Amino acid sequence: MPNPLKPEKSVVTTCAYCGVGCGFKAETRAGKIVRMTPWKEGKANHGHSCIKGRFAYDYYIAPDRVRTPLIRASIDDPWKPVSWQEAFDYAASAFKRIQAKYGIKSVGAVSSSRCTNEEIFLVQKFARAVLGNNNIDNCARICHSPTQFGLTNTIGAGAASQHFDSILQADVIMVVGANPTEGHPVFGSLMKRRIRQGAKLIVIDPRKTETVESAHCKADVHLAIRPGTNVAILDSIAHVVVRERLYNEEFVRARCEVNEFENWTALVGSDKYAPEVIGPLAGVDPADIRKAARMYAGGPNSAIYYGLGVTEHSQGSTGVMCLGNLGLSCGMLGREGVGVNPLRGQGNVQGGSCLGSWPHVFSGYRFVTDDETRLSFEAEWGVPLDSEPGLRLPNMLDAAVAGSFKGMYIMGEDPVQSDPNQHHVIAAMKNMECVVLHDLFLNETSKYAHVFFPGSSSLEKDGTFTNAERRVSRVRKVVEPLAGYQDWEITVKFMNAMGYNVTYNNPGEVLDEIARLSPAYRGMSFALIDRVGSAQWPCDENAPEGTEVLHRVKFPRANGLGAFMLTEYVPTSERTNDKYPLLLTTGRILSQYNVGTQTRRTPNSMWHPEDVLEINEQDAMSRGVSDGEWVKLSSRFGEIELRAKISERVNPGVVYTTFHHAKSKANAVTSDLSDWATNCPEYKVTAVDVVRVTTPTLTRVGDGEKPAIEELEPAE
Amino acid sequence: MWSELRGLKDEIDFGTPPRDGSPVTLDIDDVTVTVPAGSSVMLAAAKAGRAIPKLCATDMLESFGSCRICLVEIEGRGGFPASCTTPVVEGMKVKTQTETLQRLRKGVLELYLSDFPESEMADGWSEFHETLKAEGITSHPYGKGGANHFDAPVDASNPYFLFDPAKCIVCSRCVRACAEVQGTFAITIAGRSFESKVVASQEQSFFESECVSCGACVQACPSHALVEKSLFEGEYKHAEPAEA
Repeated sequence: MPNPLKPEKSVVTTCAYCGVGCGFKAETRAGKIVRMTPWKEGKANHGHSCIKGRFAYDYYIAPDRVRTPLIRASIDDPWKPVSWQEAFDYAASAFKRIQAKYGIKSVGAVSSSRCTNEEIFLVQKFARAVLGNNNIDNCARICHSPTQFGLTNTIGAGAASQHFDSILQADVIMVVGANPTEGHPVFGSLMKRRIRQGAKLIVIDPRKTETVESAHCKADVHLAIRPGTNVAILDSIAHVVVRERLYNEEFVRARCEVNEFENWTALVGSDKYAPEVIGPLAGVDPADIRKAARMYAGGPNSAIYYGLGVTEHSQGSTGVMCLGNLGLSCGMLGREGVGVNPLRGQGNVQGGSCLGSWPHVFSGYRFVTDDETRLSFEAEWGVPLDSEPGLRLPNMLDAAVAGSFKGMYIMGEDPVQSDPNQHHVIAAMKNMECVVLHDLFLNETSKYAHVFFPGSSSLEKDGTFTNAERRVSRVRKVVEPLAGYQDWEITVKFMNAMGYNVTYNNPGEVLDEIARLSPAYRGMSFALIDRVGSAQWPCDENAPEGTEVLHRVKFPRANGLGAFMLTEYVPTSERTNDKYPLLLTTGRILSQYNVGTQTRRTPNSMWHPEDVLEINEQDAMSRGVSDGEWVKLSSRFGEIELRAKISERVNPGVVYTTFHHAKSKANAVTSDLSDWATNCPEYKVTAVDVVRVTTPTLTRVGDGEKPAIEELEPAE
Repeated sequence: MWSELRGLKDEIDFGTPPRDGSPVTLDIDDVTVTVPAGSSVMLAAAKAGRAIPKLCATDMLESFGSCRICLVEIEGRGGFPASCTTPVVEGMKVKTQTETLQRLRKGVLELYLSDFPESEMADGWSEFHETLKAEGITSHPYGKGGANHFDAPVDASNPYFLFDPAKCIVCSRCVRACAEVQGTFAITIAGRSFESKVVASQEQSFFESECVSCGACVQACPSHALVEKSLFEGEYKHAEPAEA
């Protein structure tokens, strides 16, 4: 066999997949990427990588990458390739016409956590300064909005309290509703390293995930709860902490609001949250609840890591508050080795959260209703801004169905596939007059779009990402954008076409604007990141190179004290009955990423060619289902067909699937319930039934009918 | 505690993980250098600008002491200890380049070379190739036709990387990367002595094994036995996209 060819150049950049945000060296030869190797100085990954970042990058040259802007008058027409200027003008005139006819607030924008901080910031600027309303949301709505709400209300900042390396000083690691070895593999490896060094592991998850047990890594306690009982089980753990006086009184007195602590102890200390009551309800042994509580409170350093298994519930925000309360009560905040940490799913969810892609807050979580904040933005942007909070994405969709919302600019998102209750989303899309989609590929949502801006992959642009530990790292252009423009340029040109004059020479100038307008980012600049590699916010004159551990002295709340929130358990109204006796929960797998737009276009699909339904042997046998057979999965919302996989990972009564493949349409069955505080959908609990089918028969809406593109050259 | 991760430098391989003990001062080839206690002589030498040749050592993995290339002489000690597994001691005087050491290293490298495909020597650029070049080893005295692993089949089952046992020097870096860095423990060395070979899981192909394709083993391999397919032109390319 011949020797491999040596790469010619390398560019240090940041992986665009999950929230770990690994540093990579993108190596090129003759202008093509020939290898991605992990960067040893990457502070999130220290030279390690996973299958996605290391190998699954070829999607950037996939033949079906759209290389030309497309427009069409009606979604029934074929796409027409046009010049960039024509596409900008077409979209701008449609938006202006809609606003003239239906009002300023009849249009909005959605940004994506796949995009850079600079792009996210520009899209919210587009909504606020150009459209003149606050109808801006982002996909964190459907994953970690409860984190924002729940943590802000307890510990004051909706972000990880620690840096990843902090876990190497943890004695007890509690993982709740997360599966880092699949979802955040490089962090998962760091966690396993610490467990092999002797740290104890508590896992709260309905499923026996790889995190629960793998080579040389086994959870000391696994609470395999019934989906939907998070808050009950966390309150029960708190009950043990309170009743057995395991809390850190000194910390509570010094750092927290004592009155609220007492109210909280009265609630969770009541008999209804005793493990002996909650255990049977949640399907776990009461002794294990006590064991988990004693282990966590005992520390000495205990750290909580949680994921969407906490947030994507009707009580998602309450679940996050439970974790904040636990951390405060046991004094597990404000130093190395402890903390409450969301594991963010997408590369830049934290950035999406930070940079004002919300209908109610500007970057830095400052309210649009606050005059002083708004004035500072008006001064920078030179236009008056709306003081009324805008619509959240689900409300935009509702308003579209109702007929009052008519146009949307969607950057890097596929709501038709990724948002819950697909039928409702489609109805909303069909009811709009102009949907502008800005993406790499035609996707499920593009079937309902009128303008398509072909975007650039993260390998084709400059900017920054903020990872799950608040770390801002540089994304650097490795190859030229396939369709001609970097994403930030596309948004700026769309703004210009709408009549708003602004120019940036490079996205570093956008980051400078972010720094001027956002306290936590005040010290951030391309120059700083180039010098120190990456920096965690808050980064300002007090912390010129960023901050690794938050809350060391006080919590970022008005009085500096941590607050206890009352977290009464209210069961979801999505319940099992005779017709839908099983509970479906969803998650992800190592080799695929999210809705699979990127990974499905790589050989990663060899490991996971389709979504399957994990079902316990007992439930399978009683339905006459054998391993590998087709089943129909039905809920109150819809039905889909997929193959069954008999698995001991799920308990009887629970089934599990992933949502990586458009063709399986997992979100056609998920419920339309959502978090009481933030509208984050309840993906994690749906009452379903499973029936064996001989061959798949369901008509698959839109399956196989690739949108026709007129005169579009097939890519090489 | 963090120095083994946070002290890593992209352009330098210290050979063993950085440590953060109290300072220890020693002489390497008459260059005085101060490093944290717990550091290896190999790391101290790298810091002193007297990098010692190595094959089984790399600073993302704990030392292993198997390749016998990094031998040194230490004043007051007998024999030729491996610098990767020898911790620094205050006042230690180390020689890295004596005639005896060069002769020993040459002998070991010639043995490695005798079981490495000759056709792969010319344009190689792996650490193994670079080490041979640096030590001036271009041939070996053992003749042709001896026992070798040249015909062992290539495992190309993984879509992203391949394993060519002919180029494997059995340094165990892949095994240790899978265990220490990734934590999956999918790779092991089966057999003894000349029969030793790298295997995935229960002698399965990489694709069918427990391997999670994190790439840590490929990153660690010093001889391009484990190597990305994307670096080849022609025969080895990424497979066609599954959903084109």
